[in-house]
Amino acid sequence: MKGFAAICKIELRLFTRDFFNFFFVLVFPVLMLLLFGGIFGNTPIYDGAEVNMMDISVPAYAVMIIGVTGLMSLPLTLSGYKEKKIYKRFDATPAGKKSILAAQVFINLIMTLIGILILLIAGTIFYHIQVRGAFLSVCVSVLFSIAALFSMGFLFTAIGRDLKSTSLICYLFYFIMLFLSGATMPDMLFPDTVKRISGLLPMTYAVDLMQGVFAGDSLRLHGKELMVLGSVTAVCAIVGAALYRKKDWT
Amino acid sequence: MSQAIVQVENLNLTYKSLHAVQNVSFSVKPGEIVAVIGQNGSGKTSTVECIEGLRKPDSGLIRVFGKDPWLYRSEIYKGMGVQLQEAEYPSKIRVEEQCRLFASFYERPADWNLLLTQMGLDEKRKHPIHKLSGGEKQRLSIILSLMGRPKLLVLDELTTGLDPEVRQNMWLSFENIRENGVAIIMVSHYLDEVEALADKILYLEKGKQQFFGTQQGFREYVKMRFPGDEWEENLSLEKLYLMIAPKTTGLTMEGIL
Repeated sequence: MKGFAAICKIELRLFTRDFFNFFFVLVFPVLMLLLFGGIFGNTPIYDGAEVNMMDISVPAYAVMIIGVTGLMSLPLTLSGYKEKKIYKRFDATPAGKKSILAAQVFINLIMTLIGILILLIAGTIFYHIQVRGAFLSVCVSVLFSIAALFSMGFLFTAIGRDLKSTSLICYLFYFIMLFLSGATMPDMLFPDTVKRISGLLPMTYAVDLMQGVFAGDSLRLHGKELMVLGSVTAVCAIVGAALYRKKDWT
Repeated sequence: MSQAIVQVENLNLTYKSLHAVQNVSFSVKPGEIVAVIGQNGSGKTSTVECIEGLRKPDSGLIRVFGKDPWLYRSEIYKGMGVQLQEAEYPSKIRVEEQCRLFASFYERPADWNLLLTQMGLDEKRKHPIHKLSGGEKQRLSIILSLMGRPKLLVLDELTTGLDPEVRQNMWLSFENIRENGVAIIMVSHYLDEVEALADKILYLEKGKQQFFGTQQGFREYVKMRFPGDEWEENLSLEKLYLMIAPKTTGLTMEGIL
């Protein structure tokens, strides 16, 4: 346990030393909030609605943060560790490679939560956003979204032969999902064809779930989203673990 | 007679169609240095990686501290330190951070601050590892192998990339370490190093064990393979090795000019 805590501490430090991670998890979402808030203002989403634009933008940008950690930072770091034989070096200690894998998941989870918290604080300060959902429901929606996107990232690392091919898969899925899931622009603006593609992307369900729950919906109204995200988590984790076992770690 | 720390019997390992290690058997006792020698691709690293619990053998028996390293990897690493042939570290991690991290894996870690000073890395402790020179990285990897105060050390190409003076110092250091009862398995292409340090030699050719025994025994083995030749006594280990090692051709000018 002492070893695991030490690995987490170092991995956390390395995470913040990486400009990409630091910027896109902690800074960029707040900039997006200020930019779009500046352009569109915090008006009601439709005439007479209680919910304002920024109230639904914050959960969408929160999903964007989960995408950065789950689909980029986690898989690319793990893939790099495999390529550089860092797992092997850890296997040649009492700690073993599972400890560094677990530490990576843990610190990405922590950084995601910190990123979301900063976003919420910025939203509250600048736009007085309202989170109407029950605390527990909000937590469940965040955790289901994290589980699904982190599992996808894990699967990408297991599929990719090396860092280059893993990067390709991660960038492809991340950007497709970022623009077509409603995380950056509202999906109500999409034409029907794009909406159909959007319906195939797990991130879309994370955005719908989190926007709904943040706006005050009960989880019961989002059974479909929870089911999709739960299934994505299970399938990606199981297939990813099976492929990971088959890999040559030396 | 003290009991063997490492015991290997009829070890076999294949990679797809390549039979990388075939029926290798040897043992290592406390305070003994065994050198594994042979050409590139002869199965040296594969053999030691099986002992390190990093590869699962196809057949054969391996015991390290009486345990199967594949099944009890994390347990045997409490008493085993290794230096891998190619060691990389996370980018941007600093020398002292890596040392502190590895020290946290052991109950009674070595005094790594002292080791850094003794290895001439004191001024580099705040440097990112990826900015160290090859020789400095090698010295760091030796420190990390010693972090758990091991009873068994497995060193894959111990002095590659080190300058002659540091190499000599390393020999003296490992001689000292051995005198304190630590068993050492070393893979090396430097036969002067093997001659200076090794009690026993394991010689492999294309994955097959050709010889295991003392340096004197190796001399007799080579002599036996060349019965007709006029035998010169006191040949260096390197010369002996070159007599039996499979021949390779050098570059011809035809291909270059």
